[in-house]
Amino acid sequence: MQSNAALEYDYSVAKLFTITAILFGFVGMLIGTLIAAQLAFPELNYLLGEYGTFSRLRPLHTNVVIYGFTVSGVFATFYYLAQRVLKVSMAESKFIMFIGKLQFVLYMILAVSMVVTLLLGITANKEYAQMEWPLDLLTVVVWVLWGVAMFGLIGMRREKALYISMWYFIACFLGVAMLYLFNNMEVPTALVAGVGSMMHSVSMYAGTNDALVQWWWGHNAVAFVFTVPIIAMIYYFLPKESGQAVYSYKLSLLSFWGLMFVYLWAGSHHLLWSTVPDWMQTMGSVFSVVLILPSWGSAINMLLTMKGEWNQLTENPLIKFMVLASTFYMLSTLEGPIQAIKSVNAIAHFTDWIPGHVHDGVLGWVAFMIMAGIMHMAPRMYKRELYSKKLVEAQFWLQTTAVVLYFTSMWIAGITQGMMWRAVDEYGNLMYSFIDTVTVLHPYYAIRALSGVLYLTGFLMFAYNIYKTATAGRKLENEPQFRTPMA
Amino acid sequence: MNSLIVKALGFAAILIIATIVVVKQMHIDLSDPINAITIIGAIAIAVLTAGVSAKYISQMKSDTASGELADENWDGIGEYKNELPSGWAYAFLGTIVWALWYWTIGYPVDAFSQIGQWNEEVKTYNKKFEEVHKNADQATLQQMGESIFLVQCAPCHGVTGDGLSGKAQDLTKRMSKEQVLYVIKNGQNQLGYPMGAMPPGMASGEAAEKIATWIANGSKGTPPAEFAVCASCHGADGKGNNGMSPNLTEYDQPLVEHVLKQGKKGMIGRMPAFHGRFTPVQVKALATYINTLKDN
Amino acid sequence: MFHWLEKNPFLFSVGVFIVIAFAGLIEILPNFAEAARPVVGLKPYTVLELAGKEVYKKDNCIACHSQLIRPFKAETDRYGQYSLSGEYAYDRPFLWGSKRTGPDLHRVGNYRTTDWHENHMWDPTSVVPGSIMPAYKHMFTNKADIETAYAEAVTVKTVFNTPYGDDIKPGREAWEAYKPKVIEEAKKIAADMKNQDVKDAVNRGEVPEIVALIAYLNRLK
Ligand code: HEC
Ligand code: HEC
Ligand code: HEC
Ligand code: HEM
Ligand code: HEM
Ligand SMILES: [Ca+2]
Ligand SMILES: [Ca+2]
Ligand SMILES: [Cu+2]
Repeated sequence: MQSNAALEYDYSVAKLFTITAILFGFVGMLIGTLIAAQLAFPELNYLLGEYGTFSRLRPLHTNVVIYGFTVSGVFATFYYLAQRVLKVSMAESKFIMFIGKLQFVLYMILAVSMVVTLLLGITANKEYAQMEWPLDLLTVVVWVLWGVAMFGLIGMRREKALYISMWYFIACFLGVAMLYLFNNMEVPTALVAGVGSMMHSVSMYAGTNDALVQWWWGHNAVAFVFTVPIIAMIYYFLPKESGQAVYSYKLSLLSFWGLMFVYLWAGSHHLLWSTVPDWMQTMGSVFSVVLILPSWGSAINMLLTMKGEWNQLTENPLIKFMVLASTFYMLSTLEGPIQAIKSVNAIAHFTDWIPGHVHDGVLGWVAFMIMAGIMHMAPRMYKRELYSKKLVEAQFWLQTTAVVLYFTSMWIAGITQGMMWRAVDEYGNLMYSFIDTVTVLHPYYAIRALSGVLYLTGFLMFAYNIYKTATAGRKLENEPQFRTPMA
Repeated sequence: MNSLIVKALGFAAILIIATIVVVKQMHIDLSDPINAITIIGAIAIAVLTAGVSAKYISQMKSDTASGELADENWDGIGEYKNELPSGWAYAFLGTIVWALWYWTIGYPVDAFSQIGQWNEEVKTYNKKFEEVHKNADQATLQQMGESIFLVQCAPCHGVTGDGLSGKAQDLTKRMSKEQVLYVIKNGQNQLGYPMGAMPPGMASGEAAEKIATWIANGSKGTPPAEFAVCASCHGADGKGNNGMSPNLTEYDQPLVEHVLKQGKKGMIGRMPAFHGRFTPVQVKALATYINTLKDN
Repeated sequence: MFHWLEKNPFLFSVGVFIVIAFAGLIEILPNFAEAARPVVGLKPYTVLELAGKEVYKKDNCIACHSQLIRPFKAETDRYGQYSLSGEYAYDRPFLWGSKRTGPDLHRVGNYRTTDWHENHMWDPTSVVPGSIMPAYKHMFTNKADIETAYAEAVTVKTVFNTPYGDDIKPGREAWEAYKPKVIEEAKKIAADMKNQDVKDAVNRGEVPEIVALIAYLNRLK
């Protein structure tokens, strides 16, 4: 095949992961909405017996949205766009096609095992690393398979230089591999003792050391799962959808290497005022502030790419999603560093301001980008027009309102709570009992639950739209070059 | 200014004002340095994000794309060789210089100790409240006692001190009949009074009933004759012989002191010891407050 | 020069790896040995307490509770002495948490008691009106996995030299011999409880989750 001939790309693996992204997205956010409601209305804890309490469901929410929804979205967009920016088709190599499908099958087994074990309460109990050791092993296999597919495709590429999205996918692969391995070093107890459950292990690290390794992972999981591959997406989907050239190569380059270098140092901002040595805390705090610029660099690069394209912003809802995603990305990458300042963290840590910060990022940035990516991909994968533009518009406004409600309510709740914990009366005694600081949050928890309902409704509209696109969208003769056609 | 920027800043302002209003309603002192820095941080987040992102978005209206394109092209995506946006570049450089300054000159990484800071904080606190605590009058003590009670004791004794239907001591009364009978039967030795232990079986049957009824009814009037056995230790009036043994008629200061120091396991359950958690003034305040509960 | 490194995926990947790898080395390693040292007098968790810790993990209390008292006066007033690194030397994993929907629990053993926990875990609002903590009634009937807790003790003793006695050793026989000690310990907790079913279960030689959990919570001091 000649390098300039139109390639027939093969989307079978991308389609599979698209479906799981939608499925896990729905399940994860449904649980998110339920746990949000439970904090406002505790009676909702008892819908599913011991499996339905807030505490059992919370890790299910985080794991399903991260390892189900986001990671599926990453794989789906990777298997879609890597072919295109490298100019190779999956169909050209039976081997890579096999690897891709095998990866999907094992990934599904892993995801289902994850849900079942977490519901049963089988957990290593480190945040974002709850899966027990047999599942860790399977994770490693899935990840390695992805690496094989990635470097296989790179090896076959026709485009000499790697496009920016590929830089970020490579970083995602390497970063997660390194961090995951170290954080999940654990000893299965049944193997040593000869009695007890096979599913149980103890961490190789204890106490403060365990905390350090855990947040080295936890923070950089944000980097390499919620940031890096999502940047890979925006660098492809925004220029592609808009037909605009990326604003500045230099800015891409500096943001990328800046992000790679700085991110890893900032992890100890999760451990401020803990028993971690003071100098490590200071490092994390200072590097977090430096991190603002490499983070904003990518967002600004994308916003500048849209320079002069106001009409696209008003007319194309996919562009709206992506421009707003950049903005929410900017919000969370400024909010995070400010929360990493020690004095601010003294208030913010442990409060609802942190989940507020989290969801600026995950709802406004991660999920927006994944949904926009899927809406861009679907017409090309299924060779049909996107089913309904009206639905996309409605979804956009519904979900934007939801994100705003989420972060404003948690922002106010968190700051109030943090300050109430510290408040001292005129005689020098604590002003509030703990329960005072809980009951005062009721309205904010209720608002957040409402925001969950709105966001989830938007997501359902999105899922329906994609389903209709795949089954009933108007057939397309030619693949659109840039703007996604929608009815 | 451009209308988009104005709207964005307007939103930021509303968020900040709402936050301050809510916080103020909770009587939070915003001049406390930590609170102040947090509010400044919050303002920075809202204003900078809204302002800067609105600036770039409004450029979509006012500006046009330009620059020299690179040779490469990926799936139709081109790339300009534009220079870095200068604001971004200087800010990046600025934060790097700031970080280097911070580590070397400003706050060298080994110069700060959070435990040292805690010691300072406690010192400052003590100085600030020294006066209040030294000459606290009844009213002050009672108010102090109430706030400590609500934070530390209410989870067991209830906000009103009623013991949550028998889950802990009902502090609005001294003792129930059952409790007195329980002590008479079993004796007690845990509060650390100078008298030491109270032996079991000091009374029984009718006599015990009479004594217990009298105490449980608030030790009013003259005690029954049977109380004589008790009086040898608790005093003829049951008030504990000047702190030699527990006052059976009310929660006086020595009693509260002893309970907080030793904890207590009785008929109802166990009360943890709070030894070392309170200053003497705070204990006095608690005693004062608990003593007022009986009146309500 | 333009796109130079990006034309060489291997070098590019190596570059990325080096740039991301060394921050960890510099920030994590230097303090490793120091932070692993227990404070003087720290005892390893008993098997019953370990079983309770497993309940705490299983029901994921960390979702709402921290175990880390920061060195602020407001916090030491509320919860007691700020936390020290060496106090966590036997915590695998660490359970500091990152969200305080409920209060810190690092020293809850100092100011709450068995009977209080019994009431509270059965129905939090019965002691703290307005509480949004879920009731954990299933813990009164579910049995704690004391065997796995024992396996954990054996593992940390064997692999990490955690100072347990000689009676903690691998194998089913050793476990069968050890089990009565766990039941004895459970009986002491059950004695302070009111729930008759729980007391009966312990007398039958079973350990309801609530008993193990309370043993663990009482240990947090
Ligand atoms: C030998 C001296 C002595 C005699 C006689 C005595 N007591 Fe006591 N009593 C004590 C002491 C000492 C305590 C405190 C025990 C402790 O430290 O727990 C006490 C405690 C009590 C308490 C518990 C108070 C509390 O708040 O925990 C009650 C009730 C009580 N006595 C009632 C009686 C009655 C009724 C009698 C007579 C039938 C009696 N006592 C006789 C010495 C005595
Ligand atoms: C964990 C629960 C708990 C907490 C917290 C608690 N108490 Fe108690 N307290 C009890 C119980 C249970 C009893 C009843 C003991 C018994 O059976 O006599 C009790 C009894 C008492 C008594 C009566 C003792 C006597 O001798 O009759 C006083 C006084 C008291 N508490 C004061 C306080 C104060 C002051 C605080 C807070 C600083 C406090 N308690 C916190 C559980 C608690
Ligand atoms: C939905 C959030 C939530 C979950 C999950 C939760 N708690 Fe709580 N917890 C609270 C709140 C809020 C309070 C404060 C109100 C109260 O005492 O009930 C609290 C209080 C407590 C207290 C009392 C501490 C004190 O200082 O008064 C203990 C002990 C406790 N929880 C243990 C647990 C355990 C053990 C679990 C897990 C099995 C758990 N909690 C799960 C929210 C939660
Ligand atoms: C410059 C970039 C960022 C910095 C410096 C930063 C900093 C922080 C800080 C200081 C915390 C709170 C730690 C605490 O006190 O508990 C935090 C929490 C968190 N952030 Fe960020 N943040 C950044 C960007 C993001 C983005 C873009 C996302 C997601 C898309 C994100 C996701 C999270 C998550 C999930 C947590 C919660 C961790 C936990 O469970 O405690 N962050 N971040
Ligand atoms: C319908 C939308 C959603 C709602 C209503 C929702 C709600 C919640 C709630 C209530 C919590 C617990 C907060 C607490 O403990 O106080 C939470 C935590 C979390 N959620 Fe969501 N969520 C939603 C979507 C998502 C999505 C799409 C993602 C990721 C892609 C996500 C990632 C997380 C993470 C990482 C945490 C842990 C934060 C922390 O520990 O600080 N959520 N969410
Ligand atoms: Ca694991
Ligand atoms: Ca968290
Ligand atoms: Cu972080």
